[in-house]
Amino acid sequence: MPLPRLTPGDRLEQRRHGGRTCAQALQERFAQLRPTPVTARKVGFTTKIKKMSQEVTQCLTYVNYGMLTLFGYFRDYLRKSGLETTHSAIERKKMKDFVPLYQSFESFVTRNIYMRIRDCGNRPICSVPSAEFDVLEMVSDDGNWHLRLTGKSRRCVNVASYNYLGFAENTGPCADAAAKALQQYGAGVCSTRQELGHYSIHEELEQTTARFLGVEDAVTFGMGFATNSMNIPALMGGKGCLILSDEKNHASLVLGARLCSTVIKVFKHNDMEDVERKLREAIIHGQPRTHRAWRKILIIVEGIYSMEASIIKLPDLIRLKKKYGAYLYLDEAHSIGALGQTGRGVTEYWGVDPRDVDIMMGTFTKSFAAAGGYIGGSKRLINYLRAYSHSTTYACSMAAPVAQQVISSMKIIMGEDGTNRGQLRIKQLAANTKYFRQRLVEMGFIVYGNDDSPIVPVIICMPAKIAAFSRELHQQNVGVPVVGFPATRLMESRARFCLSAAHTREMLDKVLDAISDVGDRLQLKYSLNPTTKAASAEECYKQVDSLAHEE
Amino acid sequence: MGDGGTTYSGVNPNAVWLNSRGIWLSYVIAVTILHLILLSIPFLNVAQAWTLTNVVHNIGNYIFLHMLKGTPWETNWDQGKSRLLTHWEQIDFGEQFTTTRKFLFLAPVILFILASFYTKYDPLHFVFNLSTMLLVLIPKLPQLHGVRIFGINKY
Repeated sequence: MPLPRLTPGDRLEQRRHGGRTCAQALQERFAQLRPTPVTARKVGFTTKIKKMSQEVTQCLTYVNYGMLTLFGYFRDYLRKSGLETTHSAIERKKMKDFVPLYQSFESFVTRNIYMRIRDCGNRPICSVPSAEFDVLEMVSDDGNWHLRLTGKSRRCVNVASYNYLGFAENTGPCADAAAKALQQYGAGVCSTRQELGHYSIHEELEQTTARFLGVEDAVTFGMGFATNSMNIPALMGGKGCLILSDEKNHASLVLGARLCSTVIKVFKHNDMEDVERKLREAIIHGQPRTHRAWRKILIIVEGIYSMEASIIKLPDLIRLKKKYGAYLYLDEAHSIGALGQTGRGVTEYWGVDPRDVDIMMGTFTKSFAAAGGYIGGSKRLINYLRAYSHSTTYACSMAAPVAQQVISSMKIIMGEDGTNRGQLRIKQLAANTKYFRQRLVEMGFIVYGNDDSPIVPVIICMPAKIAAFSRELHQQNVGVPVVGFPATRLMESRARFCLSAAHTREMLDKVLDAISDVGDRLQLKYSLNPTTKAASAEECYKQVDSLAHEE
Repeated sequence: MGDGGTTYSGVNPNAVWLNSRGIWLSYVIAVTILHLILLSIPFLNVAQAWTLTNVVHNIGNYIFLHMLKGTPWETNWDQGKSRLLTHWEQIDFGEQFTTTRKFLFLAPVILFILASFYTKYDPLHFVFNLSTMLLVLIPKLPQLHGVRIFGINKY
């Protein structure tokens, strides 16, 4: 990575940081965290064949989509001419001269592609989603238009739930504490935060959250999605503000940004040079027509992106934010509890002071196995949000047993319950992540994302293979979510595995064997250069074992 | 899978899927396969096969890019703005002179040149080739972005 040219601002920083610019310090940090480089091999004949096979796979993916489209048109024709029963909603015959209610082209994908593979998603489960769960069987007599339960269930390994630290349990200290809170406070709250919905347990929850994150204060909300969509409008409500949002941001962030009357600019995913370019353009040119200065600029990013599993380049972003005077909104939905030595999230992972992030948002749904979200920051910010957030004004606050679940799990992670169970869970998750990713890469799958993120997307290019992968793994008792176009890019349909501290190594081995078997049969092992880092995963497991024996 | 084909993050996939990796190669291969199929039909000579390739390609191009409007999936995020736009108008969110648009503009031109060569500049074939090429090139001009002549295909 070449060093950037030293600008006058950098020279000032150099004097401040004792002879090293921020960029140089960052370089050293990056060098520590970069994985060991792949040794360059001469491109031999087999590699050339493999490269060609990648091109062939791409062409065949387009052929696959083309065939699905052609067959879709064919089936539509059959339905129109009456040779096949139409299961979807249709206009009544006597309304044919009126303006049509439905535009049938818009439901083309739903009718002809989604319905055929609908049984791969929305599978009902009937147990707690811990390391294993019971999935109810569904069958269909008319090509997935109507699915019915058979009453039987199948016990599968759960690589689908966002259960990063394994707190999704119905026994244990968290569940007992939640039951006690239910006895004390009841199930519901029946009021908004600003009226009568502010309980002592909410106070305790917010103080614990602030302590956990290392910020001055925190405010919590009952729904994770609503935390974003209700609070970004409260923060960026006025005219003359600018939002810089990553292109792969979650729907809640996009909705929150759109609900304000601000200008939104989108930058390339995790591309700090693009952020800098857009910041400079914004500051130099000012507001669109009047060219006045922007009142404030907010950069909205996530800690771990759930579809890409990439980790945001936080130190670089903080340097840019400080240099250009913008604010930073960090959505740690997937990274809180899952990254860092003590589970404090992406700020601990990079070694960044959490007070540098202006607005730290996160959810309790993933690592804490509860529901709801929080925003942490300075006392001024939190007092403002307590007064002006749409959620505290109109939405009911978090239910007491849910809040208690968060408090108990946070205390376990912080070690405040007197044991090292929290530390054990964090280390187990880290070991599982390293092992799973390393084994998948060795097998030859294309795995996206950062090596430390517990979300593992495996690329399945072709749409038909999405369904086959999901169904085959379901037969082998592994529950995995798959997602394809148009939710992802055309070529990047993927299966997404979510690892958990509740998974033992034997479970992961079983899952990996099933994946390898299905991958061989479906020819999903597209990767050109499987690298091996054999030592690291074993070390992590040894650490976990030693920690477990300390107990 | 996503619920019924809708996307998150609010990007219309129709605007970007033609920028995917390998789409140009696949396009060329698809036209080549079409041509080979037409060449294998016994009663067509080479000139007729080339003209038919050109004409079929242009008609397909016109139908999918300029006749079908909207998207085959639900667009919940843009309040129906793309329902009245053809696929060509949706590419790259309406930005003109992008690489994809240049490629799709050149493809009928190259096919026309090849077809003219292989039909030995015969007048009757020329009429068919030129008319279908104009049919497919004129709607791609930036001046005709959003224009509906005589109200055809407006809603």
